[in-house]
Amino acid sequence: MVPADLEGDPFEALGDPQRRHILRVLAAGDRSVQEIAKTLPISRPAVSRHLRLLRQAGLVADRPQGTRRIYHLQDQGVQAVQAYLLQVWGEAAARYRLVADNTTPRSTGGRSE
Amino acid sequence: MSDSLRLSFDVACSADHAFTVWTGSIGTWWPADHTVSGSPESVVMEPRPGGRIYERTADGTDHDWGEITVWEPPRRLGYLWHLRADRRAATDVEIRFVRVGANSTRVEIEHRGWERLGAGGEQWRRRNRAGWQTLLPHFLEAAEGRL
Repeated sequence: MVPADLEGDPFEALGDPQRRHILRVLAAGDRSVQEIAKTLPISRPAVSRHLRLLRQAGLVADRPQGTRRIYHLQDQGVQAVQAYLLQVWGEAAARYRLVADNTTPRSTGGRSE
Repeated sequence: MSDSLRLSFDVACSADHAFTVWTGSIGTWWPADHTVSGSPESVVMEPRPGGRIYERTADGTDHDWGEITVWEPPRRLGYLWHLRADRRAATDVEIRFVRVGANSTRVEIEHRGWERLGAGGEQWRRRNRAGWQTLLPHFLEAAEGRL
C-alpha cells in the first residue's frame, strides 16, 4: 500500500500495476466497482482501496447511480499533478527559507534582522 | 504554455547566500519524503551547466533528479527536473534570485514544460477525455520509469 504521507501523490498512485490497469479500463469507458473488479484477480475490497487512492490522487472520480458508484477518469488529472507539485514546492520553499534565513554566508558574514 | 507553476517568496539573506543554499546545501533542506529513497545520504547539484542533480543513498546508489541547464550565480539557475519520473518526462525549473536589499532576496520559482508529460500541449489545455487517453500512456511510462 501507499504510505500515509504519500496519499494524494498522483505519481505514487500510478506506481502500482493494478491501479494502472484500472486507469486503462476507465480510459475505455466509465465502470462500476463490480465491473472493474471482474477484470482483476483481486477482491472487491482491494479494488475499492485502489479506487480510493486513485480518487485521492485526483486521477478518478465517481458518481452514484442507483445503489452503485460509477467511476470515471478525472478530467483534471493534470491539475492534480500540478497541485501535488505545488505542495512539494511549498514544503521545499518553507524548509529552504529556514536554512537560508538562519545560516551565515561564509564570505560576507553579518546580517541584519 | 500558460500553465506554468509559479511561486515566489523573500528570504532574509544576500542573493549570493540564497543561491549557495539552494544549490550547494540542497541536501539540508529538500524534504526527504520528496526523494526517491526517502532517506538519501546526500543530494548533489553539480555546479555547472550540464551538471547532474542526484541523490546518493547510504549504500552508494545514485538516483538522478535532473540536469543543470542554466548556471548563473547568484541570479539565475535552471534545471531539467525528472525526480520520480522518467527522464523523457522532464520538466523545466527556473529559479531567479532577485536582490531586494543587502540582506533580502526574492526567490522566484517557475516550473514549466508540462506539455512534455503528454503528447502535446493541446490535450493538456482541453483536458477532455481524448486528452486523458493521450496522456495516460505517458503518465504510466513516467511512473514505470522510476520503479
